[in-house]
Amino acid sequence: MRFFLPQQVCHDYRGFEALTQIYSQAEEYFLEEIEIDMGSTFWLDADMCAVFGAILYSLGDNLNTVNLVNVQPSVERILSKNGFLSHYGRVKIPDSWGTTIAYQRFDVTDDRFFSGYIEAEFIHRIEMPEMSTGLLKKFRESIFEIFSNAVLHSRTRLGIFSCGQFFPRRNKLDFTVADLGVGIRQNVCEYTGLNLSASQAIAWATVEKNTTKGGSVPGGLGLKLLGEFIDLNGGSLQIVSDDGYWQRVNRNSSSYSLGHRFPGTVVNIEINTADTHSYVLTSELDVDDIF
Amino acid sequence: MQKDIKISVFEVVGSPLCVASDDGQKVHDRLAIALKKARRVLLSFHNISTMTSAFLNAAIGQLYGSFTEEQIRSLLKVEDIEPEDAALLKRVVETAKLYFSDPKRFDQVVNETREEVNGDT
Repeated sequence: MRFFLPQQVCHDYRGFEALTQIYSQAEEYFLEEIEIDMGSTFWLDADMCAVFGAILYSLGDNLNTVNLVNVQPSVERILSKNGFLSHYGRVKIPDSWGTTIAYQRFDVTDDRFFSGYIEAEFIHRIEMPEMSTGLLKKFRESIFEIFSNAVLHSRTRLGIFSCGQFFPRRNKLDFTVADLGVGIRQNVCEYTGLNLSASQAIAWATVEKNTTKGGSVPGGLGLKLLGEFIDLNGGSLQIVSDDGYWQRVNRNSSSYSLGHRFPGTVVNIEINTADTHSYVLTSELDVDDIF
Repeated sequence: MQKDIKISVFEVVGSPLCVASDDGQKVHDRLAIALKKARRVLLSFHNISTMTSAFLNAAIGQLYGSFTEEQIRSLLKVEDIEPEDAALLKRVVETAKLYFSDPKRFDQVVNETREEVNGDT
């Protein structure tokens, strides 16, 4: 069975439509040979490898054999540098410009491994853009918040996928985390009893203190913190779960429904690396006044 | 008078990265034992570089489900914490207080959402 990717796969509505359409057509396949024809694709946002990889992994879980064919040289180069194509029979090549953030798959128990990956990819690399100490700290915290959300809420058995890309000339850094879990809609509906659409459920989960984290441990802060950081930084935040598509750009949130569903949740964060905001508090908090 | 107990977050977690809820649980379990015995605890964040709300919710937020605000205020102190991390901890604490002190709030949020959804359709 052969599927075709479009000319461009960006981390936008159309990019998600293209990838989720393939999933919707192939999700029932079992023990099939699946070919993804990338002959027309001349651009694929590298961080979307997390989404693409998650979908292909899910198809592989049904014992399908997945092959990527007719990959254009420009796309092959970048997807070889970030290690994505190593999962599909190609060799990883050195990233001489150092702009890729490696594609990786994690299990929910891999917190420490994920921490090491973030340290290696973002801290111990001389090619990384010069970011203020405050920005780098906030960015790392944001990435860990995203991963923690996937660990706490996804209930995935297939894993969590991540990938990123740095664009030096545009002063942008994209990082995407995708999980093959139950999705935000199912979590919200099970926990609240509300019958929300997927995009409504995402919007609900981004409101401070709304949480599906029941029991003895409170929650309901992670996505709100991410939104606040992005508002200050001038970047953007995008969440796709099931057939819901939600984004926050320029302090405005909007949501849409996709034509097809993603089997889990994707969170993409794009940060402005030229941000000079200090992220240092103007008034110091009295530590005796925390509790 | 009994000596204060000092707990090093770095020692418990074994890393400057306090990001996992499971690691937060380890800190919580030590704190809970000490607080149950009404011992004063000094929680040190020395050498901690990164924290998440998930970690802090598990480590400290859930204490508000077992202890009163007064108990926690009188027995627990923190030190060597970066101002930005202290601000995050303060938000986690405020959220936890709300989460445990007002069970009706949850029903109210759900009802409000239901009304909004019905209004949209």
